[in-house]
Amino acid sequence: MSTPARRRLMRDFKRLQEDPPTGVSGAPTDNNIMIWNAVIFGPHDTPFEDGTFKLTIEFTEEYPNKPPTVRFVSKMFHPNVYADGGICLDILQNRWSPTYDVSAILTSIQSLLSDPNPNSPANAMAAQLYKENRREYEKRVKACVEQSFID
Amino acid sequence: MEQNSDNHDELTIKQQKEIEKEINEQFALISEKIPIEILNDEYADDPVYRQKVQDISSKYRYMRKIRPDGNCFYRAFGFTTLEYLIKNKEEFKKFRQVIEQSKAKLIELNFPQFTIDDFYDTIMEVINKVEPSDTQDVNKVLDELYKLFNEQAYSDYIVVYLRLITSGKLQEEAEFYSNFIEGNYTSLLDFCKKEVEPMYKESDHIHIIAICAALGCAVRVVYMDRGSQSEVIAHDFPDCPDNNPSVSLLYRPNHYDVLYQ
Repeated sequence: MSTPARRRLMRDFKRLQEDPPTGVSGAPTDNNIMIWNAVIFGPHDTPFEDGTFKLTIEFTEEYPNKPPTVRFVSKMFHPNVYADGGICLDILQNRWSPTYDVSAILTSIQSLLSDPNPNSPANAMAAQLYKENRREYEKRVKACVEQSFID
Repeated sequence: MEQNSDNHDELTIKQQKEIEKEINEQFALISEKIPIEILNDEYADDPVYRQKVQDISSKYRYMRKIRPDGNCFYRAFGFTTLEYLIKNKEEFKKFRQVIEQSKAKLIELNFPQFTIDDFYDTIMEVINKVEPSDTQDVNKVLDELYKLFNEQAYSDYIVVYLRLITSGKLQEEAEFYSNFIEGNYTSLLDFCKKEVEPMYKESDHIHIIAICAALGCAVRVVYMDRGSQSEVIAHDFPDCPDNNPSVSLLYRPNHYDVLYQ
């Protein structure tokens, strides 16, 4: 059955294939267009470089009026990522706009990796190390990068 | 970027969903025209409000209730404006032109064309479907409008597009509108991203001023609140002496409905 959410997700997918942004990819799962798998490659010149981080994106029939739920499946060490992989990012919450598509969501998460916001921590330890002990922060991030090859 | 831990709390999300479901079951997106006296039922034990209902009844005979989902202003405004335009062919044409030109303006303001196309196409489809013609019975067209606005897919995408037009107008005249922004916003754009573009966010004076300016429309809002005076206060948008709006909305704290004389 075609609904506005499903039609829009087909368009999002088509656009992601035809005009893929650098360093992100995503596709619906085989049997359900409402659940997507995605990968974000760690941005260059950040401790996340070379990592391949997997995520799931879950949409409801209210998309794009409401944002999807996005979670990292790969283990992450980042000030704005919760232990369960949930992401604290304004455009997925109080600044969501129906004009964002999957491509915009993934590129925003990618830039969150480059520019964490330690003032609204989802992971207090990561936020503290990011502010006070950048070397240790980078060491912990690099462990996630290594882990992301195995996952 | 900021924290919004509420959204991470699954219990809260579950509760929100239940409340939404209840509201959706209880209210159509837009109700039939009903006698204004129906408001008395809501305020059986409330002398302050009953007196105000009496005052409104002397000026308006009917109303339509709009689903209280935070989108009520745009839904009410969009519906009753089109309802009026269907009966006024020349003005309908002008309105159509304004909408047609709005997309290019939004793209110029950096809204992504890929996604705004959907919303623009939907509002244009509705405008085409209800365009008045000499051969068609006006009442049939009005029925069609009522049907379309009660179909979630059409109705919500129209609300989205009206929100984008409002945001576009605010950004276009950022210098002017920044003077009216109160609260904890880093910029006018920040306000638009938090209070205008997201669905289910309620509207205030500034939204109404902007959308009227963008579309060249006028609306009278009748305010009914706990204030001690026995008469209700009406406010016209835009606020100028020769403005006599053809459509009216009823405002009660945090909610808009449509009024008819």
